[in-house]
Amino acid sequence: MKKVITYIAGALLLTATSCNDFLDINQTPNNPTSVPPSVLLPSALTGTAFANNNELNRFASTIMSVTAGAGGSPATYDIYNTNGGDFQNQWRFEVYGGALISYNKTIESADAIGAKAYSGIAKIMKAYTYSLATDVWGDVPYSEALLGDANTQPRVDKQEDIYKGTAQIQGLFDLVREGIADLDAPSTVKPGADDLVYGGNLANWKKAGNTILLKFANTISRKEPALAKQVIDEVLASDNYIKQNSENLNVRFGSSVGSKAPVFEWAAQEGQSFRNEVMISTNFVNLLQGKNDPRLEKFVTKPTGSYVTIVNGFRGTLPQPQSSWSRFSSYVTGAAGEGPVRLVTNAQRAFILAESAITLGTAGDAEALYQEGIRASMQAAGLTAAEITAYFTANPTEVTLTGTDAEKIEKIITQKYIAAFGNGLEQWNDWRRTGYPALPAHQNAVGIDGTRPVRAQYIDQEIARNPNFTPNIFSNVKVWWDVD
Amino acid sequence: MRKLLLLFLGVLLAIGQTYAQSNTVSGRVTDTDGSPIPGATVAVKGGTTGTTTDNNGSYSLSAPSSATLVFSFVGFESREVQVGNQTVINVTLQSGINELNEVVVTAQGIERDRRSLGYAVQSVSGDLISQRSEPNLLNTLQGKLAGVNIGSASGAAGASTNINIRGITSFNGNNQPLIVVDGIIFNNNTDNTQNTLFGSQPSNRLSDIAPETIESINILKGPAAAVLYGSRASAGAIVITTKSGRTMKGKTEVTVNSSYNVQQATGLPSLQNEYGQGTNNNFVPTTTGSWGPRFGTPGFETVVNSQGETVPYQAYPNHFKEFYRTGNILQNGVSIASGTIDDNYIATINSMFQNGVIPNSEFNRHSVAVGGNKRLTNGVRVGGTITYVKSTQQNTTMGNGGSAFGQITRIPRSFDFSGRPFQNELGRSIFYNPAQNHPLWSVNNEFLRSNVDRVFGNLRVGYDITNWLNVTYRVTADSYMDRRKLTLRIGSARQTQGQIIEDAIFNSELNGDLLITAQKSNFLMEGLDATLLLGQNLNQRDFQNSTVSAASLTIPGFDNVSNGSVFTASAETRNRRRLVGHYGQLSLGYNQYLFLELSGRVDKSSTLPKGNSAYFYPSVAVSFVPTDAFKLESDVLSYTKLRASAARVGRDADPYLLQSVFVQSTYGNNVASVTFPLSVGGASIPGFTPSTRIGSNNLTPEFVTSYEVGLNVGLFRNRLGLDLALFDTRSTNQIFNVAVSNASGFDTRTTNIGEMTNKGIEAVLTSTIVRTGAFKWDVAANFTRIRNKVISIAPGVDNSAITGNQFSGINPSIKEGFPYGVIIGSKNQRNEAGELLVNPSTGTYLPATAGEVIANVQPNWTGGITNTFNYKGLNLSILFDTRQGGQLYSFSMVDLRSGGHIDFTGVDRGLPRVLPGVIANADGTFTPNNIQIPAQTYWAALGGLASEGAVFDATVYRLREIALNYNLPAQWLRNTPFGGATIGVSGRNLWFFAPGFPGDPEVNTQGAGNIQGLDLNGAPQTKNYGVNLRFTF
Repeated sequence: MKKVITYIAGALLLTATSCNDFLDINQTPNNPTSVPPSVLLPSALTGTAFANNNELNRFASTIMSVTAGAGGSPATYDIYNTNGGDFQNQWRFEVYGGALISYNKTIESADAIGAKAYSGIAKIMKAYTYSLATDVWGDVPYSEALLGDANTQPRVDKQEDIYKGTAQIQGLFDLVREGIADLDAPSTVKPGADDLVYGGNLANWKKAGNTILLKFANTISRKEPALAKQVIDEVLASDNYIKQNSENLNVRFGSSVGSKAPVFEWAAQEGQSFRNEVMISTNFVNLLQGKNDPRLEKFVTKPTGSYVTIVNGFRGTLPQPQSSWSRFSSYVTGAAGEGPVRLVTNAQRAFILAESAITLGTAGDAEALYQEGIRASMQAAGLTAAEITAYFTANPTEVTLTGTDAEKIEKIITQKYIAAFGNGLEQWNDWRRTGYPALPAHQNAVGIDGTRPVRAQYIDQEIARNPNFTPNIFSNVKVWWDVD
Repeated sequence: MRKLLLLFLGVLLAIGQTYAQSNTVSGRVTDTDGSPIPGATVAVKGGTTGTTTDNNGSYSLSAPSSATLVFSFVGFESREVQVGNQTVINVTLQSGINELNEVVVTAQGIERDRRSLGYAVQSVSGDLISQRSEPNLLNTLQGKLAGVNIGSASGAAGASTNINIRGITSFNGNNQPLIVVDGIIFNNNTDNTQNTLFGSQPSNRLSDIAPETIESINILKGPAAAVLYGSRASAGAIVITTKSGRTMKGKTEVTVNSSYNVQQATGLPSLQNEYGQGTNNNFVPTTTGSWGPRFGTPGFETVVNSQGETVPYQAYPNHFKEFYRTGNILQNGVSIASGTIDDNYIATINSMFQNGVIPNSEFNRHSVAVGGNKRLTNGVRVGGTITYVKSTQQNTTMGNGGSAFGQITRIPRSFDFSGRPFQNELGRSIFYNPAQNHPLWSVNNEFLRSNVDRVFGNLRVGYDITNWLNVTYRVTADSYMDRRKLTLRIGSARQTQGQIIEDAIFNSELNGDLLITAQKSNFLMEGLDATLLLGQNLNQRDFQNSTVSAASLTIPGFDNVSNGSVFTASAETRNRRRLVGHYGQLSLGYNQYLFLELSGRVDKSSTLPKGNSAYFYPSVAVSFVPTDAFKLESDVLSYTKLRASAARVGRDADPYLLQSVFVQSTYGNNVASVTFPLSVGGASIPGFTPSTRIGSNNLTPEFVTSYEVGLNVGLFRNRLGLDLALFDTRSTNQIFNVAVSNASGFDTRTTNIGEMTNKGIEAVLTSTIVRTGAFKWDVAANFTRIRNKVISIAPGVDNSAITGNQFSGINPSIKEGFPYGVIIGSKNQRNEAGELLVNPSTGTYLPATAGEVIANVQPNWTGGITNTFNYKGLNLSILFDTRQGGQLYSFSMVDLRSGGHIDFTGVDRGLPRVLPGVIANADGTFTPNNIQIPAQTYWAALGGLASEGAVFDATVYRLREIALNYNLPAQWLRNTPFGGATIGVSGRNLWFFAPGFPGDPEVNTQGAGNIQGLDLNGAPQTKNYGVNLRFTF
């Protein structure tokens, strides 16, 4: 009897002690716990493209009178309405939880294997993505952000500190410079097709990095003219920046389901109901028609042979049928969703330098740069050299910079606005910074005080989760670099 | 752990000290009429020795003179007789039941007298659930249980049913009770292939069991029972015993049962037939509203529809009737059973075919089972069962907008629903709204088919080492493969280019249990019975899901993944978890009136951090029977029992929560989205990104602590019985994905947080109202009231969405101070007096405020009452139940109301209306709203899909079940091969009344799970009725 009990007790104790291997099975087979930079970089680049091209573009293109809202959120944006319920996905899963965290992990995993080429690209694009975030929302988490468990409630840094840096914080300018330096360092592995922008061409990435420095300098130039001039001079001295359209920082997409650029799906995809929430604004068509601009035909569709549009804020009966509406052309969406999403362009660079030559006295002939910008844009739109020359010949007033500095700047920024067609955020940045182009007020405007939004309100979810946020900074409060 | 084992061993050895001499006792067991009772149990009290009577009611066994023999049989009061110097003991058993002497099945299949239990167990016998016009077992329990909430997703064929016992105890974990079938831990998952917001409604896997095969169901409500089953029983346990040859009293019996039921959609609102399609009294061919001109308006005799055809402008009275069909359920079963307690077998075949009320939907189930038990001559007992089930289910996809149900509530009254073709020669939908599909097109072209093959079984080997010590080892296995196919043909609303998904879901669970039972009467002292159970459990659970997703189809009508051109959504998930548990239970009983039970369990789980993966949990239960202790029994007071228990149960984590991982990258939402690998410029580019969740290596188990007190009272010679329980449950240390600042780069962090309580009262009342001669009228009633409250979540976190698919702005959530599952959405603005604020310039409500609690989905109380009438062979049972309070969030009703389709929107449509509410004056006072607005504006202003206007009171009174059976008199069967024959009719859900909702509020589009109370354009409920037959021979 006691023997039996002893056996049983022994068996019980045995299983109790030998169960450690039996139980050591909690390593997930479903997901990797570390990945190479070559799979992180394309995810990160796509995240940045989404942030620029998805909902924030639906918003910015609409308040910038390029598109007009025909339903859903765009119709709300169109009367200047935006609140903390908007752009939750953008903040959560495109900017911070999408692109930025992926750039961080790209840098970590690349540094671990000495793949400095990846680190360089990731740093440049991380800076670009942070600039997008701070330009949209103003002060945002930066120095304490992206730390995961180590800081689940990061502090909010001032936009000024994010761009310029402080003794403790590396600013965006320095982050880009560090990225460019990484590109010069030896790299064990280099990107190829996984680089959705340049296919691994690091020389182009250096040019893109320097052009991003120009863009940052331009953005803060009214608040910090001396610093802006210094940065632009530095880039001009390097003489290594985007000088032709083939060097544009364009994120490419594909034509198959699940690979398409966001703007294709929300503006062009047949059968997608969201497509019918936006059409091109009458205001935009009028602007280009007023300039006899041949890009209009290239930019905007007219299924019935004439432009079917509404003015911004229109609240009457929409034109029917919906299939007649004028929409973004394949210049913006790609023939079947390929995009590209144009983040930084040659034309943009030329307009920046034209503006700086006037306002900051940087090197270069403003008018020549202005014309270079128009030409670059027209070329990108698919106009032939002959057509471009014909336009320049026929419209001398439009392509010549005359009058006061303010008049010149208005011309430059208006042309820059046209060239940035499809990139609402850049149009919005320039409009906030300079007040150009002069856009007609939208009908039925509501907003906070009837004015066009000059920032996005912090998302409700972030305010609920992070006590460092001040609620209710409404969309009529200017960001730091927006001086007037 | 070791200390615990030594302690138990000590007790075990102590029991061994008292061992005595035996002699043979024999005799006969009869009923009060003098007829023999075959198959009655004769057992030595407090021992494992026992036998059953043969066909003549005779028995023989060896027992010591000090022993007490217990004679028992189902439906009779058991009796105890001291052996003394008797060698022949003849016993007469009284029929009729003193509730306390009822034998109930508790954890690990242990049969116990109800008197000894310190916690609530409710029993339902098989005849109350079979032949009830209902193929889903959980639905047959509706209205019959106290402390239990059961709600089916819808009346769609095979749709899942949710069950919660004594409320919700885990923020994030599975709150469905543990299901045990003949000792087999039985998987009751509801597996989803699609997003639950717009998927079809798959079954919960308990529906693989045919109600006709069930002998009894015992519901172990509190976590006290969980110590023996482990963590998963912290949400309660449902212990199902299937029919066996055990009760055949030595005979062999063949039973044939058949039933045929028809099924009809119910709860479909009445519609107005005065006004047709349009808006603002104008006809518009593509609009979803019925706000067009009144029928008969001159100039609107005909209109041009969206296909450009000239059609009459008239009412088409009931498109619901044209859409839903009459379903049917045909069920057949044969079983052969034979034997005695020690030596028996059973073989059953069951089949069920259901054609649902939704066109192109079905649910079929076929099962074969064999089982048996044998006591070998060497004393070894072996037993086992094995069951094979094949279940198939087909249902269309549901949900808001792009589904048949998203459109059936948006049919303009002048749309000729079934009189015109719904698809063109290319197989594409023809509908008034070119952006959506005709419901008849959707049901035929967008559906999920599930095909389950399931095997479950057990094998037990036991041996009585001595007459007080038994060792049993039991292996159980339950495994199924669900091979699913989702077909979304080209033109589907949610996949315009079409998609085919082959989805293979595999689940398996293996358990090995060692059970050592020692029991002794008169242990250490006279009148003390002791039972010690020691057990060990080895558990392994495997889950695998392989999905091949083929999107962007080319060839119309070719439903094969080779027809796809984009496969990026293909995926694989594999989970494995293991657990080693050691448990013990010491039960002491003193003179059959005072009982104490102590239990403890140590689990070591693979899902918790290494080195910190073991956790202990105990329970204690006491039961006291004053009527026996103080001899209080009288004609008025038949019995009383007081009971109390306390238990704490630990629950481990899900697998793989400890690590932070990378996932295949996706971006976007319904507006635009990409899924890696991207196909760019001819190259396929893979992409991964950190998962949005931060893992934690510091996870500890979550705990549920529960206290229960209860009272059983029997009055008037057992004519009236009451079983009352009060319970208080506290859940702490919840394993939860807490929201973190997204600026951290992540969305959630897995951690232990929070506290939630459930306080409740449940009562079961049974009464024999009339018993005169052959007529008997019994009433059984139950009542449940549970108050759940989320006490805290995490520092700085006041609310959090429940894990699962959600629409933004309509979030089933946990929120501090509120019951689990409240819906957080947009709430209309009110003044301090609670009056709705109206915008003075529009006459409609001011913009609503987001992030407010707008609905509590938990009922205030529920109850059921069954009246049973018996007259000779005739048996009529009628079950009414009610759910009081709680709310339902309904897209369907908002569609019908704001679209002007439902009947009341047609009343006085020409007259202006005024919304209830007030207008704020500049001086801070309020004037009642008097701004007149048109009917269309008025009904739209009451609320759209994402508004508190979609919230309705879910109170309902229901005739849940009615069954009339007639047992044919024996003399009629004398010249037939039949031993018995029963013919019956039954019906379910034949009538209901919902004062606050214009349909049947018992729907939940997302099916079984933690998210409840949402009608997101899902299928309606059904009523079923039919005939059934049963023969035995």
